[in-house]
Amino acid sequence: MRDVPGTVSCLDGNTFIVSDASGDVESSSSAPVGLFAADTRFLSRWVLTINGERLTALSVDDSKYYEVTFFVVPGGAVDYVQADVSAIRRRRIGPDLTESLTIFNYGDKDLDLDVRLEVAADFADIFEIKFDLHDKVGCHYTEIEPTELRLGYRRGTFRREVSVTASEPATFGPQGLRFALRLRPGEQWSTRLHVVMRALRPDDVDLRLALRAQRPSDSTLPESVREWVAQAPELDTDSVPLQQVYERSLVDLAALRFAPLSLGGATVPAAGLPWFMTLFGRDSLLTCLQTLAVTPSLTPPTLRILASLQGARRDDVLEEDPGRILHELRYGESAAFEEQPHSPYYGTVDASPLFVVLLDEYERWSGDTALVVELEQEARAALEWIDRYADLTGTGYIWYERRNRATGLENQCWKDSWDSISYADGRLPGFPRATCETQGYAYDAKIRGARLARTVWGDPDYADRLEREAAALYDRFNRDFWLDDRGYYALALDGDGTPVDSLSSNIGHLLWSGIVPPERAPRVVEHLMGPALFSGWGVRTLAERQGRYNPLGYHNGTVWPFDNSFIAWGLRRYGFSAEAGRIAEGIFSAATYFQGRLPEAFGGYDRHTTRYPVRYPTAGSPQAWSSGASMLLIRTMLGISPHEDHLAVDPALPSAFGRIALLDIPGRWGRVDAFARQRPDTQRSG
Amino acid sequence: MTATSAFFERLTAGGPDPRFNKVRGSVRFDIRDGDRVEQWLLTIDHGDLRVRRAADPAGTVIRVSAQVADGMARGEVNGLAAITRGEILVDGDLALALRVGRLFPSASDPGGPPTTKNTS
Repeated sequence: MRDVPGTVSCLDGNTFIVSDASGDVESSSSAPVGLFAADTRFLSRWVLTINGERLTALSVDDSKYYEVTFFVVPGGAVDYVQADVSAIRRRRIGPDLTESLTIFNYGDKDLDLDVRLEVAADFADIFEIKFDLHDKVGCHYTEIEPTELRLGYRRGTFRREVSVTASEPATFGPQGLRFALRLRPGEQWSTRLHVVMRALRPDDVDLRLALRAQRPSDSTLPESVREWVAQAPELDTDSVPLQQVYERSLVDLAALRFAPLSLGGATVPAAGLPWFMTLFGRDSLLTCLQTLAVTPSLTPPTLRILASLQGARRDDVLEEDPGRILHELRYGESAAFEEQPHSPYYGTVDASPLFVVLLDEYERWSGDTALVVELEQEARAALEWIDRYADLTGTGYIWYERRNRATGLENQCWKDSWDSISYADGRLPGFPRATCETQGYAYDAKIRGARLARTVWGDPDYADRLEREAAALYDRFNRDFWLDDRGYYALALDGDGTPVDSLSSNIGHLLWSGIVPPERAPRVVEHLMGPALFSGWGVRTLAERQGRYNPLGYHNGTVWPFDNSFIAWGLRRYGFSAEAGRIAEGIFSAATYFQGRLPEAFGGYDRHTTRYPVRYPTAGSPQAWSSGASMLLIRTMLGISPHEDHLAVDPALPSAFGRIALLDIPGRWGRVDAFARQRPDTQRSG
Repeated sequence: MTATSAFFERLTAGGPDPRFNKVRGSVRFDIRDGDRVEQWLLTIDHGDLRVRRAADPAGTVIRVSAQVADGMARGEVNGLAAITRGEILVDGDLALALRVGRLFPSASDPGGPPTTKNTS
């Protein structure tokens, strides 16, 4: 329960509704408000009135992700509410939407009430909303039946339709439905509204039918969430905020699970609400890497679907290559008519190496060699892509330069906004570009691929080759990217091979990948934890005093929890436990200001100046890899990692936490517990 | 010969495809041209691909117009986009259908790996 917030979201996988605090949806052209499924807005208007008056929320309970309850009264937000009439709207989302409306008369007179629900559907594609486009090519239609209102949109063979029905008698019209009721004093009235979203083929078969059969129904959803939580390890800690973040993250990961049409019901993480409610290669792979200790069941379906959609040929619109792992998959109108290249789009350079990294890391945890055998061909193809298709200059690095000049991404690394890669003086480099962290991922992928080749695929020659290539990449990278006078690695190489000399968080990922020689690590760490990069809450994406630094710059100064979790993992790999702990403490402290739900990013302002983490205006929330960040940070504090057939534990707690125990960690060892306790004498790791 | 027939003839002659080493299943293409329906049955048995004209039952059935089928054979149709917009109807195993979709060419294929730019 909480006081009236701005917008209220309710989600299940890639189906979600965003409304105002009273439960109403009044779409504006560019705000992602409404009922969405498959990247399409199925309700753009959903407004309740009683006797012509809008309702005002007294309180909203959104403690469950798939259900929201609004307690509302007629009239505007005035000092005093004449609340003879009040209502409860209880909304639950699954593959479709149900809303129970109950109206009370607590007055002392009989009341005649005209209850109306205004309904409209613009069938906007999520990209039309993002780019504020209005001209739809197809035609809308309205079908009114005695017990149903159907709104539809047709463009050739493309058809989307929404149907509204009610459990109580109603009058249906083109603008919605109305109920005429008479309530005696003390009486209440209820109806259950059902909103069904369909993606119809020309033969009237609904593409979402299989989805509906696979997803838990309204009645079994709470049980499936309980089951998900029960399967995960239990966190036992003296830190209430940490407990809150853990539980919230676990439930948000459940919320973001969705079943892609082509996967037969298995679920993978959608990237984040509201803009990224679909499959992203990079986001899903990194989320799986973060959560192996807690929710390993996310990984096999993620690897399988990415494998099944792996690039097979060269295509300059989709930026597809043989072996390339996809960036983004969409089902909306713009993808269907190829106005956006998302069927699927391959413009990412890190998903391919990360695919191999996750496959290896998963096997280390699970011992599931069958999956490594199953995906051998795809893993080899992803490794081959690195050298054969990504090395655009023949210099032995992964480069990118978009081939789709109209709608492709300029930057194809995780910082994929247009101005995220710049020199220290703010200039933008030419293309192609090779960012540093991607080379680290490639190095790690080769090392891990070699292990899989030797231990599972029975191909020692291939393993030797990959190790030779990794060693050569290590030397080359440390020669070309290292800026010795500054003591850090260049953010990237530009089209001429010149280092792009900004100080950025990307250097932290290099520690995770292990491409940094141990003697250089202290200088890198000094920068990561220095005042230009470390805000007190976490490591900024771009350091202060860099030309494009802005504490609210999407990739140019904000703090990203996911980024920090991988940096902390890297710090522990190189033995910098106290520094990893500082990051964990900072990110978990920040989370308490977001009710335990880490957003995609927050402002890079100095912690001592603002005292609270400043909200980034359009940050997605929940965001899968932000939920995953808390899981990875717990892993780094406990120092847990698989070591042959057992789980090694090497705890290093920051002083903010007295005790952390993660109980029943699943893996090849069965289930084991990991404990960390502060030593009272030293206030250091225990 | 239509582009579609030529495509299936090439598949028949192509021999085993290692990308289908772990796949077993059957996919029938029902290609409608006016009142006429042309049916091609693709059977996959661990990398071994066989194509013949047949109306036999199949685990997965893909229904398209002759026009869309020719577009696919020429590499001009994005299969997943066409499924999303209702031009290709898949009944059965969608994952298998998408896998089979990889056999079709891409018209914007520049051919082979990228040419290397010299940066020095």
